Amino acid sequence: MNFFKVIRWMVWKDLVSEIRNRENISSMFFFAFAVILIFSFSFSMDARSSRELMPGIIWVAFGFTGIIGLGKSFLPEVQNDCMEYLQMAPVSKGAIYLGKFAGNVLFLLAVEIILFPLFILFFNLDVLDKLPMVLLIFLLATIGLSALGTLFSALTVQIRAREVMFPILLLPLAVPVFIGAVESTRGALNGDPLALYGHWLELLAIFDMIFMIVAFWLFEFILDE
Amino acid sequence: MIASIFIAKLRKYQNGFALLSLLFLSAGLYTGLVVSPPDYYQGEVVRIMYIHVPFAEAAMAAYTVLFAGSLWYLWKREPVIDNMCHAAAGIGILFTSVALITGSIWAKPTWNTWWTWDPRLVSFAILLLILIGYLMLRSFLDDPEKEARYSAVLVIIGFVDLPIVHFSVEWWRTLHQPLSISTRGVSIASSMLYPLSFMSIGLYLLLAYLIMVRTQMLYLEHLLEAKQGRLLSEVHSS
Amino acid sequence: MSIKAAGITKSFHHFQVLKNVSLEIKEGACYALFGPNGAGKTTFLRILATLTRPSAGAFEISGHDGIREKMRVRENLFLISHGSYLYDDLTVIENIRFGIEIRGRNLSDSEIKSALDRVEIGAFGRLKARFLSAGMKKRLAIAKAILIRPKVLLLDEGYSSLDERGIAILNHCIREFNNEGTTVFMTTHDRARTAEVAHHAGVLTGGTLKEISVRDLSGSHELF
Repeated sequence: MNFFKVIRWMVWKDLVSEIRNRENISSMFFFAFAVILIFSFSFSMDARSSRELMPGIIWVAFGFTGIIGLGKSFLPEVQNDCMEYLQMAPVSKGAIYLGKFAGNVLFLLAVEIILFPLFILFFNLDVLDKLPMVLLIFLLATIGLSALGTLFSALTVQIRAREVMFPILLLPLAVPVFIGAVESTRGALNGDPLALYGHWLELLAIFDMIFMIVAFWLFEFILDE
Repeated sequence: MIASIFIAKLRKYQNGFALLSLLFLSAGLYTGLVVSPPDYYQGEVVRIMYIHVPFAEAAMAAYTVLFAGSLWYLWKREPVIDNMCHAAAGIGILFTSVALITGSIWAKPTWNTWWTWDPRLVSFAILLLILIGYLMLRSFLDDPEKEARYSAVLVIIGFVDLPIVHFSVEWWRTLHQPLSISTRGVSIASSMLYPLSFMSIGLYLLLAYLIMVRTQMLYLEHLLEAKQGRLLSEVHSS
Repeated sequence: MSIKAAGITKSFHHFQVLKNVSLEIKEGACYALFGPNGAGKTTFLRILATLTRPSAGAFEISGHDGIREKMRVRENLFLISHGSYLYDDLTVIENIRFGIEIRGRNLSDSEIKSALDRVEIGAFGRLKARFLSAGMKKRLAIAKAILIRPKVLLLDEGYSSLDERGIAILNHCIREFNNEGTTVFMTTHDRARTAEVAHHAGVLTGGTLKEISVRDLSGSHELF
């Protein structure tokens, strides 16, 4: 079906461009690396306070990294007026949104997975057995962040103060994602039973669902006239 | 023209709203500050409630107007509706700020803190940020149609988001702040109910009046810009 | 009628850019729109291209209503504009593939090759789009139009940034399109080159349209 073909082509296009210029992933990665480095100097932590602060540190780092990456995600679309071409193409605008969104999730998740070992390294985390759960949390939170971020990236990409406006719009609305991500990461890293923090995963999943649907519908009003 | 009919209607009814609002607000202030007794627990401090609660309600009403207007605009694309949304956002910022500030002043003597991670407080802070972001976004967009559409999208996203923010903060709070202070609503005596409802009705009317006036201002501003543009283009082509 | 516009009015926040523009173009005809800068040519073209909504009025592209049946209109439409609609990090061929396959058409390599040869940039197929000059980008857009074969082709200042050879290629393509039933609508400033292909012409001044004779194009008096 053409709907899925459009999604595939959008993802393919973003992946190929990214592999060739490596702008997005490398800028995200080195930014996050710098943030982690600063954090590791700023907090000289023992094991207890490390457990206490770790989830917050992880998600502050990932959140800012996401802002760097997501905020730029529509830049290639405006460089040669490609947004107009996509608008005029006889395809569902929701499919274009989902394609951009899927690409953003992939990039962000890739950076998070590369970065997580650095956290283990710098902060002496003991996580090997908790890894699947941590990855699930990363996935859920990244979906939520990208669902909103992709929409706001399209919203702000053509305006003068893009770098400022993007986080100003995204951060307040992403509060539930950050709360859910931090609390469930805390539960997972502590090795708590799932029943104690499962509701945070549910919150993330509900947030993901709602904003994927709402953004899917609203994207037409951003891309189309 | 739908726009000019709409504007004419606003002009016709605005003074009625202003008058009624004045009436209700003075009745509310009189019963609230003079007639009603001080609270058993909170003493005279409780009187700030007659300002705080109605302002918070009116701020939510402003956002509801903004939300409905945004949907309406996306449906009908009538520029004057966009002017109304623009107006409601600006006045929403005013009302939300008053609600937050009076809430903070009220919290100090009753809960002994200026700020607490109460779900309603956080939701209002987020609401304020959304509204400020809304006006900023508008000011950065040059194409009037894009400005209207994009800002409407932001409003709808925010409207969907606010309940989720409220819930997530509520869950978070039960985890981190065991119930040392209750921020739940208190049951209200009837002597307090009168001033409270007078003030609420008065502020709803004031909100309506302000939105009406501001909508006309924005409409006229755009009209003026258009006239200027036409004059310039005539000078240019002659 | 292939393009039919009736009473198109466009205002930006109450400022009228287009006033009651009506127009009918037969299938397989080429219509050239002239007019001073800022007269609303591009705005009118963007309305036909379904990029902006008219404030009032209606239009049809090959029988489909431009506002209610937007998707059908878009299937039949292609616009060559100032923006090249290219992704800098994809090659010429990849850009063509992306641009046309998301419209739901499959392309073979030989089709792409022959279209590129047709506009004489066949040698640059594997070059990244960021290294193309403005004229080459325009030729690439023409190649896309050749591959898509839309029922209606819109050109926003089609001749700009093309060299002599490029203009000749474009004119040749326009004639060929017309012969195959594709309607061409373009805004332009180049009277002499337009006169070679245009069947109808109009002048847009201050938001109102006046039809002129194609013979006037080869004359030397001012059009507006």
